Amino acid sequence: MSDEIQVSVRSFDVATVIDLVGDVTTFAEEAINQAYQSISSDGATNIIFNFRENDYINSAGIAILIGIVTEARKRDQKLLMTGLSAHFQKIFRMVGLTQYADLHPSVDDALKALNSTK
Amino acid sequence: MRPPSNRVVELKIPSELGYEKIAREAVATVARRLNFGEEKIEDIKTAISEACTNAIRYGSGGDSRMKVVVVLSADDDKLDILIKDPGISGAPPSDVNIPDIRGMIEEKKRWGGMGLFIIRNLVDEAGFVKNEDDNEDEGNQFRMVIYRIPADEGPADEGSEPDTSDKSGSGAENKGGIT
Repeated sequence: MSDEIQVSVRSFDVATVIDLVGDVTTFAEEAINQAYQSISSDGATNIIFNFRENDYINSAGIAILIGIVTEARKRDQKLLMTGLSAHFQKIFRMVGLTQYADLHPSVDDALKALNSTK
Repeated sequence: MRPPSNRVVELKIPSELGYEKIAREAVATVARRLNFGEEKIEDIKTAISEACTNAIRYGSGGDSRMKVVVVLSADDDKLDILIKDPGISGAPPSDVNIPDIRGMIEEKKRWGGMGLFIIRNLVDEAGFVKNEDDNEDEGNQFRMVIYRIPADEGPADEGSEPDTSDKSGSGAENKGGIT
């Protein structure tokens, strides 16, 4: 019943983007964590999680992201999130995730923000 | 099309993660017929997803041979959602705490409680209720209510800050009204 998530990675000068297409639920845990561990092993310091606007994210998906925030803090990585609908931006603020990851409308906006702080 | 008053939709879904999406789509259809605004419909979809996920994960122990029943009741004043599960894991939690995300991130706190917290912030009333059906004296029933109030009487549908207080009457939109 779950739309299997498609996870892919893109590299830019200032950041690595993890594109997420599909449901961000408990079924997505392995794929998301594998992508994160892989780019972390390659030395990523700025990581952008790019969501598809209308995909389904539930509290289990949020728990996956909390786990990644935990790892990112240990590794001194900066996390950014893009592509979220207004609804899920509200949910992420509600649960406090935005204290640990900056939200931007798009990957371009996030890259610009990172470039401006270089 | 305006729905008549007091319409009830009942769904029975397998107790298997992923099937909550059926309840999510069904409630969106009902909420649209009640003329709730799109953002409130998103709130209701997320709330019912979390409630069904809890019913599947905890109330049924993830046993797909069991069923979760979702009852959507619409009348002139409100959308009333009841979610019934077999109650495998015993009594449900009696209160909802604000999740300690900092504690979770610092690995001092175990992850949990997020779903109920999200639900409480998205609907007007939410909580476990006593099963009043003598024939179904076992299991949990979780009830959520979303009121339909005229847009000019209700607060803006913001809800960006955590809030565990009772929000009866707030947050619902009514762009058209039914009779």
